[in-house]
Amino acid sequence: MPPQLLRILVVDDNHDNAEIVRKYLESTNDFAVAVAHDGDEAIAMYHESPFDVILLDVMMPGRDGWEVCRTIKSEPGRAGRTRVIMLTARDQLSDRRVALQSGADDFLEKPLELAKLLTAVRRNAAALAGGVKIPTTPAAPVTPPTQA
Amino acid sequence: MTDQYIGGPPLGRRVGDSIAAAARALPAKDARNSLPTLATAIDSLRSAVQDRGALVILYLNFDRYAKVEEIYGWEKLDAVLDTTAHELVRILAETPFRAARLAVSHVNDDDYLLLYVPPVGSSSNGDESGGDLSEALTARLQSEICDSLDRVHGSDIASLFDLYVGRSLVQYDPKARFERVVYRGIREAASNAHNLEQRERARVVDDLRETLRTRSVYVDYHPIVNAADGAVFGYEALARGSMRSLRRPEMMFDVAAGAGLIWELSRLCRDRAMEGIKQLLKPGETLFINVDPHDFADPEFDDTALDIADAHHIVIEITERTAIKDYPKFRERLKAFRDRGFRFAVDDAGSGYAGLGSIANLEPDFIKLDISLINGIDTNFIKQDLVETLVRFANDQGAMVIAEGVEYEQEYEMVKALGVHLVQGFYLHRPQQLPNDLEGPIDGA
Repeated sequence: MPPQLLRILVVDDNHDNAEIVRKYLESTNDFAVAVAHDGDEAIAMYHESPFDVILLDVMMPGRDGWEVCRTIKSEPGRAGRTRVIMLTARDQLSDRRVALQSGADDFLEKPLELAKLLTAVRRNAAALAGGVKIPTTPAAPVTPPTQA
Repeated sequence: MTDQYIGGPPLGRRVGDSIAAAARALPAKDARNSLPTLATAIDSLRSAVQDRGALVILYLNFDRYAKVEEIYGWEKLDAVLDTTAHELVRILAETPFRAARLAVSHVNDDDYLLLYVPPVGSSSNGDESGGDLSEALTARLQSEICDSLDRVHGSDIASLFDLYVGRSLVQYDPKARFERVVYRGIREAASNAHNLEQRERARVVDDLRETLRTRSVYVDYHPIVNAADGAVFGYEALARGSMRSLRRPEMMFDVAAGAGLIWELSRLCRDRAMEGIKQLLKPGETLFINVDPHDFADPEFDDTALDIADAHHIVIEITERTAIKDYPKFRERLKAFRDRGFRFAVDDAGSGYAGLGSIANLEPDFIKLDISLINGIDTNFIKQDLVETLVRFANDQGAMVIAEGVEYEQEYEMVKALGVHLVQGFYLHRPQQLPNDLEGPIDGA
């Protein structure tokens, strides 16, 4: 087993979804994955042990994903060492703004595409490790970054 | 000195037992800065005040911190409050107030309270001793917190620092419930802070009238460059008051808005910006000037107000932040300018007030991204996605996107990669004054 597995917390009230994501991520052998099924459980687990990346579903009963994200991201010190990826319902500009205001680092639209999920987790891990730039969406019409 | 009273038995626990229990269920400390909440602080001071007879309350009102949140978002204000609390604790430890309780009145609030029990022997009149001390303390807090904000968060944030300290003295009264007496004292201190602020505001309005009379506004020109090759595309004119109290444009326009002098100030700033244009602009370069949507209601501001032969060299920036009331009329005024060749930029795009639809309504030639989208964009994938969306939208509309507030190489590389056309920020250029501008900053009060 590699010495430093990336620690991922998957937060989704839908147990099946959470399990699929957990198994998929674990199949890469790069991640140690934990699962929480509601906001309170997620916050409790975050306080108990550190995570590198939290995959956070927006729509949950009780504390929703936005509130959990704000709570996590407003704690000094640790917040900067945890990347939060919001799982939002649809392609909404307003959702992305709310995600930003909640302090999130990234977002994915549901239904989840597992390949995109892996890209998102990896690029956030890279950002955590020290700012390796990976483009957001490959399809976007952008000029390529100049190579130094 | 009063440390011995921490956790001492609270007095007056008869009728209020259930209330006290409810208060204890609330957080005892602010989660961010670990300062005690008011309820906790009051509890810990109860017996000290009973012994010594008096309590000095200082209410620290950081008046313009709300602006920090409005412009930069809550995460920035959280960080600013961290710095503030850290400095407060550090400075207090070096003063006679080291034994005082620093508290937050509400968790996550941006005002602070200082509760100080004057030593018994120091003076028969607690008011006297606390008064002198608190003036010295206020002066230190004002200069040192501002300095450390400048160091940690930069001068733009530091210029939003504004501290008013209100004071009150509470005498111990065995007939009165301690909490209520303290709450009254806090209200009095807060009201004193507010009065100080009003007096200061009035003074700044006088400064503004003097500025208008003497035309003491100077202009900084901040270069805007092509993202691809860094060549200067144009300049944004930033009018600043020559007096220290009016140095920052937002402050100056805030004061003018409050005093009903906004049109007068806008006219002066526009005139001053236009005066520099002939010396500054090389062929093909563009001057961006800021116009408040309210200015379009100024009868003196029409398409002939800007004295320029070729209007194509002027871009009028309109902020997305200001809600526009009479939209049809506003668009009519814009059209008159547009017909003469003036171009338009929507400033602060993506700050949240307007969606893409209302940006499209203005048919801008330039879309200036809100600074909050650029700050840290190299590691935030949501910001990258939003900027990408705005660039795509601008390309569809035939508009150019400007990223302002670019401070680091990583941000510069990222906005370039995302297809942003024009870039402005300290990473590339600082704002510059014209060499022969006679109205540079003066340090008058």
